[in-house]
Amino acid sequence: MPKTAELLPGTLDMLILKAVSLRPLHGYGVLLRIRQISGDALDIPQGSLYPALYRLEHQALIAAEWGQSDNNRRAKYYTLTAAGRRRLRDETEGWNRLASAIATALGTAPEEV
Amino acid sequence: MLGRLGSFLRAARRRREFEESMAEEVQFHIEAYTDDLVRSGMPPEEAARRARMELGSVDSVKADCRESRGLAALDALVQDLHYALRLLRKNPAFTATALTTLAVCLGANLTIFAVVDSVLLRPLPFPAADRLVRVFNTYPKAGVLDDGMSIANYYGRRGHIAAFSSVAGIRERTAVVGETGSTEREPVAQVSPEFFSTVGLAPVMGRAFTDEETTYQTDGVVVVTDAYWRQHLGADPHVIGRTIRVDGFTKAVVGVLPPEFTFLSSRARLFFPLASSLEQRLPGQRHSGSGAQMIARLRPGTTLAEAQSEVDGHNAVREADDSLGKRMAEAGFRTLVVPLQADHVSKVRPTLLLLQAGVLFLLLIGAVNVANLLLIRAGDRLKEFAVRQALGASRPQVIREVVTETTVLTLLGGLLGLAVGAAGIRLLGVLGAEHLPLGARIVFDARVALAALAGAVVLGLAIAAPIAWYSLRTHATGALHEGGRGGTAGRAATRLRHGFLVAQMALAFVLLSGAGLLALSLERVMALSPGFRPQNILTGQITLPWKTYDKPSARLAFTQRLLDELAHQPGLRAVGVSTNVPLSGRNGMSAATVKGYVVPPEGSLHGHYSYGVGGEYFEALGFALREGRFLGAADSGSAQRVCVVDEDFARHYFPGRSAVGQRLFPGSKEGTDAEAFTIVGVVGPVKQAGLTEDGGPGAVYYPYVYRADNDEIFVVTRTSVAPESLVPSLRSVVRALDPDLPITDIRSMEGRIADSVIVRRSPAVLAALFSAIAVFLTAVGTYGVLSYAVARRRREIGLRMALGARPEQVRGQFLSLALRLLAAGTVLGVLGAWLTGQAMRAILFQVPPVHVATLATAAAIIGVVSLAACLLPSHRAARISPMEALAEE
Repeated sequence: MPKTAELLPGTLDMLILKAVSLRPLHGYGVLLRIRQISGDALDIPQGSLYPALYRLEHQALIAAEWGQSDNNRRAKYYTLTAAGRRRLRDETEGWNRLASAIATALGTAPEEV
Repeated sequence: MLGRLGSFLRAARRRREFEESMAEEVQFHIEAYTDDLVRSGMPPEEAARRARMELGSVDSVKADCRESRGLAALDALVQDLHYALRLLRKNPAFTATALTTLAVCLGANLTIFAVVDSVLLRPLPFPAADRLVRVFNTYPKAGVLDDGMSIANYYGRRGHIAAFSSVAGIRERTAVVGETGSTEREPVAQVSPEFFSTVGLAPVMGRAFTDEETTYQTDGVVVVTDAYWRQHLGADPHVIGRTIRVDGFTKAVVGVLPPEFTFLSSRARLFFPLASSLEQRLPGQRHSGSGAQMIARLRPGTTLAEAQSEVDGHNAVREADDSLGKRMAEAGFRTLVVPLQADHVSKVRPTLLLLQAGVLFLLLIGAVNVANLLLIRAGDRLKEFAVRQALGASRPQVIREVVTETTVLTLLGGLLGLAVGAAGIRLLGVLGAEHLPLGARIVFDARVALAALAGAVVLGLAIAAPIAWYSLRTHATGALHEGGRGGTAGRAATRLRHGFLVAQMALAFVLLSGAGLLALSLERVMALSPGFRPQNILTGQITLPWKTYDKPSARLAFTQRLLDELAHQPGLRAVGVSTNVPLSGRNGMSAATVKGYVVPPEGSLHGHYSYGVGGEYFEALGFALREGRFLGAADSGSAQRVCVVDEDFARHYFPGRSAVGQRLFPGSKEGTDAEAFTIVGVVGPVKQAGLTEDGGPGAVYYPYVYRADNDEIFVVTRTSVAPESLVPSLRSVVRALDPDLPITDIRSMEGRIADSVIVRRSPAVLAALFSAIAVFLTAVGTYGVLSYAVARRRREIGLRMALGARPEQVRGQFLSLALRLLAAGTVLGVLGAWLTGQAMRAILFQVPPVHVATLATAAAIIGVVSLAACLLPSHRAARISPMEALAEE
C-alpha cells in the first residue's frame, strides 16, 4: 500500500467537488474516485465523507438524485451544480496560487535573499 | 441564504423521508465496501466488520449529517416542545386555567388593537397618505370652530399656495338615485376636478372630472366606486357613457374608481363635480361657508408649519382688502392646516388609547395569574431542576426549557385568543364600532392576527423571566437537602408571588375605578335634558331633488301637502317639517345680525344654528315656550317676515329685555327693513350638537319657505302610539305623494339620543366588561396564592396546632396575610386610579378625575372579592389535623 498523506483542513470539500465534476457518483464512488485520481496518495476518513456531502448539498453546490448502481442497487448519486462548478474553479485557482506561492517560498535558495 | 432555509424547511417537513434516505445511503456504502473487500480476498465476516469500523459509528455519522443540514437545533427545539407539551398534558387543571385566562386576555387585547390599528395606526389607502392635510376656516370667538371652506376659498387657494402640490374640495350629501318607482336615497359626494389626483387614486376606468364640468349647466357626469359599479351597473366593462338618474337628472358615467378607494368615513358611492355659480367664486364670498371641506397634498419636502404660515400669509393679504375683514378678525378668523387622518380621528383617539391601556392592564392581571401558577409549579420542580443542574444541565439549557414552556403556553393561549378576538370584533359591531371615524374598516386580518401572536410570544418571554430566575437561583445543594422548600429561593419566591398579587389587586382597582368614572359620566350625560320631550317622536329624512322641486314655492307646496296628509293619519298628534333636527349630526352654523346691535369691544359676530320649520314643529318636538308664540302654518305663506329665537340667542343679544318684537337679518350684514325678520317668540334651548353641549350658540327658527334652499328636510311627528309602529304609514304617505321620494333614516328621537352617546356608552360597556374579568381573575389569583401558602405551611400549622394553637388563630393568620396584601394593593390602586383619572380628564363629563365614591366602591368590591377568595383556603388551614399533617413526612 502506498503512503497516504494527511488531508489538509478544508480540502475535502474541494476534492469531493472535483470527483463529482468528472461524472455523477454515489458516496462510496466519491471515496474510490478520490483515491484513484490522487494516485492512492489521499485517503479520506470515511466518517467525514457523508457529513461533507450533506453540507455541500445543503449549500446547493452539489445535487443528489437516486439512481441505479453498477450492480443494480438503489444508490444516491451526486452531481455538480452550476454554483458548485464556480466554487470548484475558484477553489482550484486559489489552491494553485497558494501552492505555487508556498513552493516558491520553500524553494528559495540562501543567495536569492 | 434562502436556498439554505429552503433546504432546512424541506428537511424539517420531510423528516422521515430524510432519515430513511440517510440510513439507506449509509447502508449502501457499507455493503458496497464489504463487497469490494470480499472481492479483494477478505473473508465476508471480516470484510463486513472492517467496513463498519472504517466508517465509524453509524449514529455519529448520521448526527453529523443532520448537523450539516442544520437539523440539530430543530431537534433540540422539538425535544423541548415535546417536554413542554407533556408537562401541559400532565396538569390539565393548570393548563385549562392558564389557557382560558390567556385566551380571554389576549383576545380582548386583539379586539381593541384591531380598532386602534384600523382607526389610529393604519394609513389611509392613498399613496403617501401622510402628506394629505385638511384646510378649514375657523371663527372661534364667534363660536364657529369649523366652517370648512367656501367655494371662493377653493378658487382663491388653488394654485396660489406653493406648499400644496394640489388642493381639492369635497361636499358630502345625499341624493335620490334611480329610475322612477325604484329610487333610493344614496350618500354621495361632490368633488372638485383634482380631488382624485390629490388623494392619489385616479379612476381605473375612464377619467376624473374636468374644469369645464364645474358649472350647474355642465355637471351631468358621475364617477362611481367599484362597489357601486359591481352592485348596480353589473360590473359592465363598457360602462363609460352609460347614464344614472340622480335627483331626476341624467348623469353620464365617466369613471370607475379602484376597489380600495374609500375617503375617510364617507359612504359615498357616487361622485359628482363640485359645481358652483360664478358669483360663489367671487373673492367677496370667501366667508360664505359652503358645507364643503378642503383637502390638500403637501408638496414633497414641505412641512405642515410651512404650509400653515403660507396659508396665514395668503389670508392676510386678502383680509386686508375685505370690507368684512375687521369683523372676521374680531371673530378670531384663521385657516388651519391639519393632518388629514389624525384630524379625522382626533375625537376618539383618547378614548381608544385609554381602552387599549385598560385592556393591557387586564392582560397584565392575567399574566400575573399565569406566572403565579407557574411559580408554584416551579417550586414543586425545584428538586428536579437541582438534580439536572448537578448532572450538568447548563443554565442556558434550563432557560431554554422554561422559555419554551411559557411561550408554548402563551402561543396556545394566543391561538385561542384569535377566536375570542374574532368574537370580540363581532361584539364591537353590536356596540356600534362602525359609527367610529374609519370604523368601517375595522377588520380581523392577518396583520392583526400576527400582532396578537407576536404579543403572545413577548408575553411568553416576559413570564419566563421570573420563572427562569427562580429556577436558577435555587442552589443545587439547597434544594436537594430538604423536602423541596429551598430556603432563600423559597422566601424570594413567596415575596415575588405576594408582590404579583398586590400588583394584580392594584391593576384591578385601577380598571374598576376607571370603568366607574366612565359609567358615572355616561349616567350624568344621559340625565341631561335635550331641551324637548323625546318620548314618542318619529323622525325621517327626505331629499327633495332640484329637478322637480327647483323653487322654494314648490318645496313649500310639497311640505304642505305632506303635512296635510299626515294630519289625517291615525296615531299622529302633531306633525312638522324642518331643515334639521336636534342631534342629527349636522351642526353647521350661520351668522345673524340683530338690528341695532353693536358688537361690543373685544366681542365678535356670532354663529347660530339656523332652522327652517313648518307645520307644528315646536309642538311635535315638545319645545318649551318662554315668551310670545310658536311659528304656525300661516307664517310660511304670509308676507310678514317673522321668526322665533331660543333663550340662548335672546340672552346674548337682549340681556334683561324682551326679545319679542326685535328684528334681525340672516347673514353678517344688516339689510333693508323689508328683509328684516321680526321675533315673535322665544323658546327653550335644545341640544343640537350633543347632550353635553353647554350654553349653546343660540338658534333662529325661520318659516320653512325662507330656508327652503336646502334640498333635505326632516319630518317630525309626535305620536300617540309607539313611534316604531308608524314607520310603514309614514313611508307610504310619502310614496303616495311622490313615488320618486324615498324617506330614509326613520328613527325615533330617543333612538337618535341613544346613538348620540354611543361614543360614551360603548367604552363604558367595554370598560365594565374588562373590569369584571379583572376582578374575577384577581379572585382566582388570590385564591391560588393563599391556597398555596396554606399547603406549603401545612406541617408548620399542624405543629402549632399540636402545641395548642386554636383554629381561629390559624384562620386569622391567613386572613391577616390577605388583608395586608389587600391594603398594599388598595394603596397602590388609589395611586394608579388618581393617575388614570388625570389621563381620563378629556373624556369625563361632570365627574372629577378623583371621585371618592367611585374609589370607595372599587375598594369595597376588590376587598369583598379578595377576602371571599381567601376564606376557603384559610378555612382549610384552620381544619388541618395536627396528626395527619405531621404524619405525612
